[in-house]
Amino acid sequence: MTRPEPAGGPVLEIEQLRLEIEGAAVVDGLSLSVRKGEIVALVGESGCGKSLSAFAVLRLLPDAVTLAGGRILLEGRDLASLDLAAMAAVRGRDASIIFQEPTASLDPLMPVGDQIAEALTAHGMAPARVAMQRAREMLVSIGISDPDRRLAQYPFELSGGMCQRIMIAIALICGPRLLIADEPTTALDVTIQAQILHLIRELVTARSTAVLLITHDMGVVADMADRVVVMYAGRVAEAATAEAIFKAPKHPYTALLLASIPHAALTPKSRLATIEGTVPRPSSHGAGCRFASRCPLVEDRCRREAPPLIDHGAGQEAGHEAACWRSHEVGMLGATT
Amino acid sequence: MSHPILTVDKAAVHFASRGGFLRKAGPALKAVDGVTLSILPGETLGLVGESGCGKSTLANAILGLVPLAGGSITVAGREVRSDDRESLRAIRSDAQMVFQDPALSLNPRLSVGAAIGEPLLVRGLAKGAALRDRVAVLLKSVGLEADHATRFPHAFSGGQRQRIVIARALALQPKIVICDEPVSALDVSVRAQILNLLVDLQRDTGMSYLFVSHDLSVVRHIADRVAVMYLGRIVEIATMAVLFAKPRHPYSQALLLAAPEPDPARQRAKTRRILDGELPSAANLPPGCAFNTRCPIATDICRRDAPLLTARTDGAMVACHHAEE
Repeated sequence: MTRPEPAGGPVLEIEQLRLEIEGAAVVDGLSLSVRKGEIVALVGESGCGKSLSAFAVLRLLPDAVTLAGGRILLEGRDLASLDLAAMAAVRGRDASIIFQEPTASLDPLMPVGDQIAEALTAHGMAPARVAMQRAREMLVSIGISDPDRRLAQYPFELSGGMCQRIMIAIALICGPRLLIADEPTTALDVTIQAQILHLIRELVTARSTAVLLITHDMGVVADMADRVVVMYAGRVAEAATAEAIFKAPKHPYTALLLASIPHAALTPKSRLATIEGTVPRPSSHGAGCRFASRCPLVEDRCRREAPPLIDHGAGQEAGHEAACWRSHEVGMLGATT
Repeated sequence: MSHPILTVDKAAVHFASRGGFLRKAGPALKAVDGVTLSILPGETLGLVGESGCGKSTLANAILGLVPLAGGSITVAGREVRSDDRESLRAIRSDAQMVFQDPALSLNPRLSVGAAIGEPLLVRGLAKGAALRDRVAVLLKSVGLEADHATRFPHAFSGGQRQRIVIARALALQPKIVICDEPVSALDVSVRAQILNLLVDLQRDTGMSYLFVSHDLSVVRHIADRVAVMYLGRIVEIATMAVLFAKPRHPYSQALLLAAPEPDPARQRAKTRRILDGELPSAANLPPGCAFNTRCPIATDICRRDAPLLTARTDGAMVACHHAEE
């Protein structure tokens, strides 16, 4: 299935976002944009800052994390400067989020129909009776059979996949321009994952919703994303279209990450590429590139000076950004591993 | 032809549904329902399926951690009897285990050296300096340093902890290691390290693996043969090459199609035939083939008779009334 090329203007623009824990930057200078109808995947391994960045957009950060700088523009309006009341009006109406654990995200003591309808009534978008009718229509539109029975059920009566459908219904019923999906299928089985990804794709295409998809699964990225932003240790390592990232990564971290995944073209039991060492702690970041201690292409300059994120693409490949002093040599890395 | 290290013959594991106040006990839940398979020396059998299909229960039954309701399991010629401590003790020297979450598999109060050395110590196989030497060799074999022995699990990353668990499993030089989702809790770059390690160790020692996983890309990389489980039964078992080139059971086909590949061109060119519905409850299985509620090609016979696992010309075994030759 091919999706139409997203053509709209930016819905979400994050500029130079900085998040800190006890003064140490856990996200440092993240910039990205998501256009109308576009699915942008924010990828990286545990602790790279991808989920915190997503939470920051809706100001859902844990207490220990402070928003220390940058702008978060939702259709031009800076969410980073809103007060709590104004932010509450944005959540669920202009921008919504779905999480990894659908059963933990729903209220266990409330029938799911009431939870969907509440999204509308909380924003004063419909009176209670109309809201329930809209909730029913929403369930029908996401392909749930027997909607009346489902509306009356409690989360414990539903499977994980069904709970995630309910979460999607809650997230989309007010017609937000932005949907943040934080590992939406990680807790689900692969056949259910396929159903949920298909559903998200259909809904956002029909509504031209902008989607920021947080995932660690490069298979999901390949399936869903128009563009990909790869994070490493709180910084953007590389950003490009999904095709370009998979075909010709320009940052050694992305190249090694992709080469470490077993896939069909590899000889069974052959050696997979690995990334030696561990991610540095936020408190120990020096002036240089944060991947320097694990990078096979490292040279002196990398340890002294952090490489800026610059566009390495030319002509048709313009817009392929990478933060690496030796990004033109990354292609060889894939060949040797 | 060599004898199998592991033989599972019509094994069944049932969990009783307990009655309560004002509630009658329901029918037993058939978590594993007549599974037959075997693993040869040096071979890796991948066992795949979704949550609740019984793959972990089968792994536990092989180790004698849950009792069998029927059938038998034999490891290196000895029958596994979950109610006989002596026989279990004997079996543990041939069959060891590696679980998903290394943080939960290690005692936080036991130093790494004590954890790895314990199996040798309790069996009186080594002590003192000889034990320390043996632990050092085991640590090196999994890519850690000898002086890591004095540290405690909290000082290690998830990948390193899984290496420690593997070193402990290797201490008794087992003939087979049951790996239950051994890399599912790890980041992809670390996952690659552990997969490389498992492949290297098998090449060096000739041991067998039962590799339980929900991740088909991992199984395709590491397994020689693959068994696909659905609701307590094996629906297909074939060599890795045959299964991935020509899956015959409609569930195997759906599983392979649903697993997203890390390649946008291939992934987006796939014909998407998304499997409808969800897994029925194992406590209330449909009559006939357990897959008939979700199967795109089910007919009357599928709703009446459970298909038997039958051999095809290329050695694949398939349990389906309509699967192609």
